[in-house]
Amino acid sequence: MAGAKVTVEHVSRAYGEALVLTDVSFVVEPGELIALTGPSGSGKTTLLQLIGSLDRPTEGRILVDDVSVGELSHPAEYRRSTVGFVFQLHYLLPALSAQENVALPLAASRVPRHERAERAVELLEQVGLAGRARARPAELSGGERQRVAIARALAGRPRLLLADEPTGSLDTAASRNVWELLSTLRDRGGMTVIVASHDLTLVEHTDRSLSLLDGRMRAPDQDRLEPEGIA
Amino acid sequence: MSTLEQTVSTLWGRPGRTFLTALGTALGIATIVALLAVVGGVRRTAGNLVNLGPSELGLFQADAADPTTSILSTTLITQLDQTPGIAAATPLVLLVGDLPQAPAAIVFGAAPHGYLAGGLVFSTGRPYRSPNEIVLGDALAKQLHITLGRSLAIDHRQLRVVGIYHNGIAYQDAGAFIPLATAQAISGRQGEATTIVVKLDSSTRPAAARRTIARRFPGILVISDAQQATRAGVSGQLISQFGLVIVVIALVIGGIGVMNTMLMAVIERRSEFALLSAVGFSGRQIAGRVLVESTLTTIIGAAFGLVLGVLGAQLLVDAIGAQTFVSPQVTAWDLGRGLLVGVVLGVLGGVYPAWRAAHVSPARVLAQH
Repeated sequence: MAGAKVTVEHVSRAYGEALVLTDVSFVVEPGELIALTGPSGSGKTTLLQLIGSLDRPTEGRILVDDVSVGELSHPAEYRRSTVGFVFQLHYLLPALSAQENVALPLAASRVPRHERAERAVELLEQVGLAGRARARPAELSGGERQRVAIARALAGRPRLLLADEPTGSLDTAASRNVWELLSTLRDRGGMTVIVASHDLTLVEHTDRSLSLLDGRMRAPDQDRLEPEGIA
Repeated sequence: MSTLEQTVSTLWGRPGRTFLTALGTALGIATIVALLAVVGGVRRTAGNLVNLGPSELGLFQADAADPTTSILSTTLITQLDQTPGIAAATPLVLLVGDLPQAPAAIVFGAAPHGYLAGGLVFSTGRPYRSPNEIVLGDALAKQLHITLGRSLAIDHRQLRVVGIYHNGIAYQDAGAFIPLATAQAISGRQGEATTIVVKLDSSTRPAAARRTIARRFPGILVISDAQQATRAGVSGQLISQFGLVIVVIALVIGGIGVMNTMLMAVIERRSEFALLSAVGFSGRQIAGRVLVESTLTTIIGAAFGLVLGVLGAQLLVDAIGAQTFVSPQVTAWDLGRGLLVGVVLGVLGGVYPAWRAAHVSPARVLAQH
């Protein structure tokens, strides 16, 4: 399945008087793995939320393929069919097993029960957790929980994967594993992946990086010039 | 895992909250079921005050507080006898609270061979023949440890026990019969009766006779079956209305309780609902999950409440000392209504929390964490 093309055109987002994003524009080609870098508070999360239709821009527009996501009348349908989210915190439901957590988005799509179970097991195998399907989140390590969260994000076969600081709460080794996993999954599935992270050491796994500072896009080489400005 | 299974899993994962929410519902439902059962028992008792046959009508004072306080003039008897379609009219006096040893017992003043008294089946002794004789129900005789030949005082009047009967109607077996004139003398209401029972000609339809009597004798309530006897008393209506008020109050209080608990649960689990929204659940699907959860919780509570209510009904009757008169009557309909109230509580109490859950902003909540 081909990845989605993401076009961000002059997007701004304000919360009252506070301007979080200002005139942000860029294009991500289908199948690209992009790192969205910048210090905390630079607007990375807000930008991902706008692309994922969890929020709407105050100005400008975002096209995912030809769909303007800010104008969707049924954003839930778009989130089910097109987007997969990975958050810094795993947000796994504690009462459900790893397999049931992975199958959750499929329940929203009313996929038959046995298909959900098969797909969840298949995805857990892909993220290297075949033997942990029955485990509850409390029984998993931090790295394993994040892998389950990635498997959950892939459940709906998304064409666009949005990951917000997916390694933010992991140690170095686990972080590297998650990046490698995202890279492998992109190579295997051909989806477009946008990863927000302030960890520049892991940007090597991406095709290119985009940088935000105070809600504005920065020139591509500015990160290397001003590393001390990154939290 | 289905929505229902996930809901069960969620409830099971929070046993304390589930128990307390269910307990609140259970107490509300128990109150409703107990009151309905007692009201049902009271109605049955009121209905049994006059055991009407298919061709009989009972006449009561229309605005009496309850059937036992109805007062009708016996001069009506003559007029009723002259009314087309009526074969006979028999007065009946009810004395309540006149037996000091058994204040709950009802004493019936009736002609020896007329309505009610004529149908008594005696286990020992015989019907009364003179003004100072009395016959007792076997339950009352046993309660008072009285045998044939002994005397019983009613309002300082000594009456000799000449017969003990049993006819299977609880309040009659726990009561007594005396001559009509004696009852009128004791109550100080010569020429008056509590009710008049009218026997119709075989060719007369009860409904037509009811209309005729109601038209000819304004101020008189005519009933044609035992169930309608509850209408004879303002008290009966008040009891019914009181039961309705209790149900409404329980609905409101229970609904607020369930809503408050579910709202707390929604606020605590905002990140869960935000996640569901982020992975593609629509607002309607999320609201549905909350409604299923609140309804399931209240159904669990209602199930416990039904059991508590059935047990509580007897305790309530015992507590108010009405066990002689009232035997709580729990019907399948009462239980069904209890369960229905539980479901309504769950739905009503879950609507606002469900709306809140459906409108959780994933952008705001997930960003906060």
